Amino acid sequence: MTNSSDSQCYFVQLQIDGFLDGDLSETQQGVFMSHVHDCADCAKEFRFAQTVQDAVLELPRVDCNEYVLEPIHRLSNSETQGNLDSSSSNGSFISQLMNLINTVPVFMRVGVPVAAATVLGIMISSSLLNQGQNQELSVPQVVAEVSPQYAPEEISQALEDLNLAIDYLNKVNQRTEVMISERFLVNPLQDSLNASFQRARLSDDDPLQNDPI
Amino acid sequence: MQTEYRQAIAQHRQKVYSFAHYSLRAKEDAEDVTQEVFIKLWQHWQKIDHNKIGGWLMRVAHNAVIDHVRKQRPSQNNVDQYAEVEEQVGSESDEGNIDQEVFKARLQEAIKSLDDPFRSILIMRDVQGLSYTDIQSSLDISESQVKVYLHRGRRKLRENESLRNMFEQQFGNSKSQSSLSNDQERFNRELNVTGKSNDK
Repeated sequence: MTNSSDSQCYFVQLQIDGFLDGDLSETQQGVFMSHVHDCADCAKEFRFAQTVQDAVLELPRVDCNEYVLEPIHRLSNSETQGNLDSSSSNGSFISQLMNLINTVPVFMRVGVPVAAATVLGIMISSSLLNQGQNQELSVPQVVAEVSPQYAPEEISQALEDLNLAIDYLNKVNQRTEVMISERFLVNPLQDSLNASFQRARLSDDDPLQNDPI
Repeated sequence: MQTEYRQAIAQHRQKVYSFAHYSLRAKEDAEDVTQEVFIKLWQHWQKIDHNKIGGWLMRVAHNAVIDHVRKQRPSQNNVDQYAEVEEQVGSESDEGNIDQEVFKARLQEAIKSLDDPFRSILIMRDVQGLSYTDIQSSLDISESQVKVYLHRGRRKLRENESLRNMFEQQFGNSKSQSSLSNDQERFNRELNVTGKSNDK
């Protein structure tokens, strides 16, 4: 086989897929077919390519078993059910209320709110009127409570009693101070100091032996 | 929403599973990928464009298959499965069908052994019959790239030794010179028919 025919075989074999797909032009198809008619190697290669291609095209379109998709269906079912449950629980009160309202006749649906509003208005206005009357009555009572009547003699007697009480409290205060200072603080301190000095004098040889500290 | 989701599953389940089945060696892996893809569809249902569900599913399936292939290690199990297929075919069919069925089994193995994107594009185009536009949108590459990868994938498939040896045994070495010339004449007739059909 010459070099030119080798290169021709190479290009023809490159075109095999194009020929099988029908992508070659008429001229290219003619060149391809005439070469394959005459060349046994290219004819064999073409035959092999065609066999493989036919076998690939004949491969079955397989499908999966149902059990493969069951978990997916369960997942989507459960999530959808969950969403429905949550939405239904949120809207249940409102929907029930609306259903209840819809069962009531129209004149009741309008009349009851109007009557309730009228009664409420009357109650509010009456309470406001009562409050105004109470305010008018209470003013002189407050003035009377603020200014009680006392005689000057009673006031001077009260002042004398107050001074006596203050004197008594001062005397109690002085007596308490004397008691605390002499009996519980000064005298015990003096006694302990004297005792320690006395012990120090008794043991001159070893001054630290009877050191109270 | 659930009804639409179920419709989408019914419409695309075969395409997704078929793609995974011809891409992966183990049936369980193909089933896992199918489940994974449709769970992701449920999770992203609100976000995706419902007019392009097919392309979206194939893209997700392609990514899931690539992940599984990375995890997959060539093991003895696959060889055993292949041997089982051959044994089963041998015990159930006659001589001619054995060759045909074994050839298809080897072909499937050869497809699975291709690298990506050759494998994915060959499956999408030749096995599943998807259009170039669908493949383009699924893999996010241009149409010309799809065509180039497809032709390279086919050539790589034809380079498979096992397939070629089987073809040689069936059509080459076992035949005498006279039968070869008869085959050549028959082939030439078929070639003319193919060429004419392509002209249409």
